[in-house]
Amino acid sequence: MSEPFTHRLLPYDGVDEFLAGALPFLRDGVDQGDRVLAVTGVGREELLREELGLAAAGVEFADAATWYGHPSRTLADCLSDADNTAWQGRRLRVLGDPVWAERRQPLEVVEWQRIEAILNVAFRGTGATILCPYAGSLPAGVVAAARRTHPETVRDTRAVPNPGYIDPWAYSAECDREPLPEPPAGTDRLRIDRPDLYWLRAYVSDYARRTPLPEEDLQRLLVAVTEIVTNSLRHGAPPIALRMWTETSGEPALVCEVTDEGRWPSGSAFGLVPPRPGATGPGGRFGLWAVRLLCSIVQIRTGDRGTTVRLRLGLPAVPAARVGAGINRA
Amino acid sequence: MRWASKTSAAAYAGRTRTDLDGQVMETPWFAERPVSAVRPGDHGWLAYSGAEERDQVIGTFVREGLAHNEKVVYVTDAPPERVPGLGPRRRADAETYARLGQLRLISREDACLDRHGAFEPERMLDILAAEVDAAFGEGFRAVRLTTDYTWLLNGPSRSDLGRMLGCEHRVGDAVSPSTMAMAVCQVHRRACPPHELAALRDTHEVLVEVNPEFDDGILKIVRTFEPNGLRVEGELDAARHAVFAEKLSQVSMDRRRVHLDFSRLGFIDLGGLHLLAQHATALPADETLVLDHLPADVENVIEMVGWHRLPGLTRGGGRALPETEGIA
Repeated sequence: MSEPFTHRLLPYDGVDEFLAGALPFLRDGVDQGDRVLAVTGVGREELLREELGLAAAGVEFADAATWYGHPSRTLADCLSDADNTAWQGRRLRVLGDPVWAERRQPLEVVEWQRIEAILNVAFRGTGATILCPYAGSLPAGVVAAARRTHPETVRDTRAVPNPGYIDPWAYSAECDREPLPEPPAGTDRLRIDRPDLYWLRAYVSDYARRTPLPEEDLQRLLVAVTEIVTNSLRHGAPPIALRMWTETSGEPALVCEVTDEGRWPSGSAFGLVPPRPGATGPGGRFGLWAVRLLCSIVQIRTGDRGTTVRLRLGLPAVPAARVGAGINRA
Repeated sequence: MRWASKTSAAAYAGRTRTDLDGQVMETPWFAERPVSAVRPGDHGWLAYSGAEERDQVIGTFVREGLAHNEKVVYVTDAPPERVPGLGPRRRADAETYARLGQLRLISREDACLDRHGAFEPERMLDILAAEVDAAFGEGFRAVRLTTDYTWLLNGPSRSDLGRMLGCEHRVGDAVSPSTMAMAVCQVHRRACPPHELAALRDTHEVLVEVNPEFDDGILKIVRTFEPNGLRVEGELDAARHAVFAEKLSQVSMDRRRVHLDFSRLGFIDLGGLHLLAQHATALPADETLVLDHLPADVENVIEMVGWHRLPGLTRGGGRALPETEGIA
């Protein structure tokens, strides 16, 4: 692939500035025979179709609310698309409207921002080109973060290096600078010292069944917990402990936390970069990445005081009375 | 006849099951047992797919009986060296056991054919009863009865199904309350149409299968013959990856396609999936490892990870069908 991978920020105020940046990007793609994908809201799609005219036939439109479904899954799917397109000798060109920045909970927004940084590593060598329009009306912090995760900014159809851009891993580490909030008072702590984990799964199932977690999500939780604890048993340092609780403020979630006294080696990818198909690689890396797909959000803190991994699975909204029943008793 | 009775066969009380159309059917409840767990009172059923499966199950049944001072009564026309569990190298043993009366090989003609060569169930029941009656006095602690009915179902002397069913019911009535007798009825799976096979199966209370390759109460691995492969039951995680990998490579040695029956798999961890993919990747390019009867929640996890990231694995047959239990 002769074209280098690019990931550009398009800061704009108002529709005219949006179109001034987005239209040339899309038209160039159609002209060059790229696979062109515009991920945006319904209103914007109509606007773009109208402006593109006949060229709109060469653009695939995807609904941003669906496409940005889950940070790790979206990254993996888009990377697969980029690889597949490259194998066909074409380039994947994505206009990605970050609708997540407006509507999602802060914890999830952090993960999307982290993905904006990590994709600079993950897409290297794919030849893909990604343009992210950020409205000036977004919260100031969101646009400021975007300047740190996009290597280049588009200004008057020219791409200029972004002075604020920082190393993706450094950015990712910054996302995890804040310590995790303490678990709710009275949360039971289960010591894990037997390598056989079937009893642990029985404990987790038992707890999860007293929460509104849908039954079909339980297996995913069990696979994720087993992976993290197996990893702790292999590479971490005892004592290993498990705590579970539910959170009802913000995005309701079942949280499952695994702690140990070990510290992950520096340079760990934390399962953030999708493994390429056909190269499942060492089990550990594949495993942690898969854990991210299985959970809503995975939070990791590792350092001198040991390692904490929190697995969060979203819970359906239910009347408060039901959520309160039987929780934090495990 | 006197079959050393115990009080009742209450352990095999009938139970209702639901068929494919959701209709409740009154069918027998089957106890499933590996062949080494067959006990007096068991009227067992073995629908085998081929000689390999039959010889493993019946070979074990015969050998363990002989090794534990139990009488083995085998209705067969095969010479001793062709009888499962005996074999050419044990010919001398077979003769010794026969002399001691511990091994009774009875020809079909002697056991169950009338003067015109037609199947005569009464004759067989009487002969088996006599063998069981004699066993206690002969000093044996139990009697193992077995025969292969395949020839009666598809041979030139094919008996009608009603007669066969009646015979099986009477064998069952005789064996179930017995404290000494146990029986394993063998039939080739394709000896008769599936509905006949199911009807015959339903006259038995115990489905006999090969001994598991591994069973520690959490994970059970059972060899399957048709299709060739393993049934994996329970939970597979890092604590048991090694034993699973070992059994998987053993069953893969003869180059036949391997199917893994996951119908009773409760859990598989990511390392386990990785192990499957690694195994599949090492297969010849056009080969694949087939995962049959994937439970929905396990399949959901695989789909989340992506089948394309587990190259060489193929989704096989659908969900487990209880109707074919013990016949397919």
